[in-house]
Amino acid sequence: MGFINYDVNRYTPKQMVAIPLVLLILSLAVLGYTMATTGMPVTPGMDFSGGTAVTVFTPDSPDSLSATFSGYPLISIGEGVSDGKYIKFGPMDDDSLQSLAALINERYPDAKIDQIGASFGETLQEQAAFALVLSFIGMAIVVFLAFRTFVPAAAVVLSAFADIAMTAAVMTIIGIELTLPTTAALLMLIGYSVDSDILLTMRVLKRQGKLDEKLAGAFRTGIIMTTTTLAAVAAMWAVSYFGNIPVIPEISAVLFIGLLIDMMNTWLTNAGIIKWYMIGKDGSVKDRVDTSKGKDGSVKGKGSK
Amino acid sequence: MNTKKLIDLLKTWQVALLIILLIASVFLIYPHIEDEEFTTNLQYGLDLSDGTWLQMEFQAEVVGFETERTPGEFLTELQKRLDAEIYLIDDDKVEIRKFFTREQLEATFSESGGRLTSYEQGVSKETAEQVKKILEDKLNALGTKDAKVNPLTGLSGISQYVRVELAGVSLSQAKEIVGKQGRFEIRVHTIGNATEHILYGDAINTVGVPTQQPPGGSAWGVSFTLTEEGAAQFKDGVNQYGATTAPDQHYLDMLLDGNVVYSAPLSTDLAAQLRVEPIRELYASTGSGEGGLSDAKNLEIHLRAGALPVEVKVAGSGYVPAALSDYFKTMAVVAFVVAAIAVGIVIYFRYREPAIVLPMIGINISEIVILLGIAALIQQQLDLAAIAGLIAVLGTGVDQLVIITDEILHEGKVPSPNIYQKRLTRAVGIIMVSAATVIIAMLPLALMDLSTLRGFAIITILGVLIGVLITRPAYGKIIMAILSK
Repeated sequence: MGFINYDVNRYTPKQMVAIPLVLLILSLAVLGYTMATTGMPVTPGMDFSGGTAVTVFTPDSPDSLSATFSGYPLISIGEGVSDGKYIKFGPMDDDSLQSLAALINERYPDAKIDQIGASFGETLQEQAAFALVLSFIGMAIVVFLAFRTFVPAAAVVLSAFADIAMTAAVMTIIGIELTLPTTAALLMLIGYSVDSDILLTMRVLKRQGKLDEKLAGAFRTGIIMTTTTLAAVAAMWAVSYFGNIPVIPEISAVLFIGLLIDMMNTWLTNAGIIKWYMIGKDGSVKDRVDTSKGKDGSVKGKGSK
Repeated sequence: MNTKKLIDLLKTWQVALLIILLIASVFLIYPHIEDEEFTTNLQYGLDLSDGTWLQMEFQAEVVGFETERTPGEFLTELQKRLDAEIYLIDDDKVEIRKFFTREQLEATFSESGGRLTSYEQGVSKETAEQVKKILEDKLNALGTKDAKVNPLTGLSGISQYVRVELAGVSLSQAKEIVGKQGRFEIRVHTIGNATEHILYGDAINTVGVPTQQPPGGSAWGVSFTLTEEGAAQFKDGVNQYGATTAPDQHYLDMLLDGNVVYSAPLSTDLAAQLRVEPIRELYASTGSGEGGLSDAKNLEIHLRAGALPVEVKVAGSGYVPAALSDYFKTMAVVAFVVAAIAVGIVIYFRYREPAIVLPMIGINISEIVILLGIAALIQQQLDLAAIAGLIAVLGTGVDQLVIITDEILHEGKVPSPNIYQKRLTRAVGIIMVSAATVIIAMLPLALMDLSTLRGFAIITILGVLIGVLITRPAYGKIIMAILSK
């Protein structure tokens, strides 16, 4: 990939880890602040807070829509391309809901309606949080079983954690709500973001050869991997966003952001830690066994590039 | 590549399996023209087919208890204080078919001489299955063309929700159907096959679960109680037509919506009692063994006349009209095709070698076809979230093909079969670990009842499995054959 000029061997581990570390602290601060002010680290969407969402294609203006639905707890009216409108209502009792459904049916027979009760939303939220924690722990166990060495495994788990935290922070900042679809995207991110981390760690730990060559090779493969997924996700986002399809734009937006962040965390955080680990290991072991290769090779390689 | 090589390639089990599954999948998906419209065997979720979903919460809870008293005494006391139906479902667990908060129950439990040890809103699996059956019967009787009823059962085996999906039905219609009860009636035979009305379902006060009478005996049956008024009607009716003096000539029929669902004579004991006084507690026996039990279960449902044993509250609902769902379907296909093209372009820029790019895309598409074939086979519904899962499988599927290709191409051209095998094994090692993480990460979603995301999780897990087990090994063989010219 000619347009990516990053050289994974140019910087010292400390330099590599510095940027993501600062971003991680900032992200945690954003999440902590949001948690302190709203009670949730990420803005919960309708699936979790309860309410009614209506998707409809109509030339009616938002003003006339809000006049039509003035009798109901209207929260917002969003506009998409080609007359798509997303109308959101807060929680309401069953009778109001029935009359709202009847009204919508009469005026806009082609509207899609979704309604989640407030207590149901709470249950969903608990389950979603539980699923996230469970997924993360499961992933960590698989990674530790696969590598059985503490530092490399911890590096993978740490960069996966950074992926999720930073993605959640970006979601909060740019206003993507946490809904069932975005929860699914975050879960998927837990699984997929470790893809390139595993590739990197496997190549570095299990292949023979010079460290900088292994890193550069892993980087080449890893970047193309992530780019293919990014391409698929970006295409999915564009079509679904401009086509006014619900659900898919949020999933693909979160995956897109998450994969971009994952590129950084894999090739800065994880690569930095594993480089530090290998240099340290080479230094202590190979110094005594074989002074001609090993440490010298990797140090020289680093300097020459 | 010459013909001999191609034949050799087809003979390897990896490639042969891929092709067999591919053909089988096309048959399973079965694309065909029906009524001048293109259709397949794929099942669509509610986003992609018009209809309504209703998610209803059981107004009941399953609680654990401890007591110094005998469980029988304790439960009787509890029943009196709570005025609710209570069933023992385990040695130390009861199902209370009325909504109470944990605090309310804790107080009542200690007043009744016991202690509450666990509290979970919902019903036992058996009750949930019964609700499912009642709703299905009702929907089938109404001829609703495509109805699905699924109790959502958590990891603990307790169902808190039941989800109903009705194709081609609007939201208000759906609520009406689910809430509607059938008409239950008891009639008595007069002369020959002629019958006379005795009472309607509104005279039935409560209905029990199937029990054996005497307890531990072999015959099953269902007990039910009548209202005071109903008991009087019942006494007058059976006496008037002679069912108490000659029970065998005057069978009693129970009808639901005009169909006879149970027919039996009064027992001699009961007939004698009814000659003197109205009886409120009645018991309808259905026979012994498995058959008797299943008849008793059906009778219980019929006695309830389509009413659910547990009250439910609508927790969430939604409606997608036909025009919109068709549009979503089209757009989902477009999104998929555009994503596939985008992936193709990226790969082409990386390798610039059609001999590598084409097999990659081919493998990728066959992976999706097999995934859809399995989805059709297991009747997995495709909804928008599942489509997103499908596209993600496409994106990450290519990832792993890239790992294999790069691992094999490492340090220039393709090596000898020996080294090739070693490298492929190493690539597969990387793929296995990353596949395992994805499956583990998705597992909670597939097992939990965040119903709408289950499809997404199942599609993703299946996609990863198909990739690891079938398409990647085949790709390894194919790329080997292509590169080793």
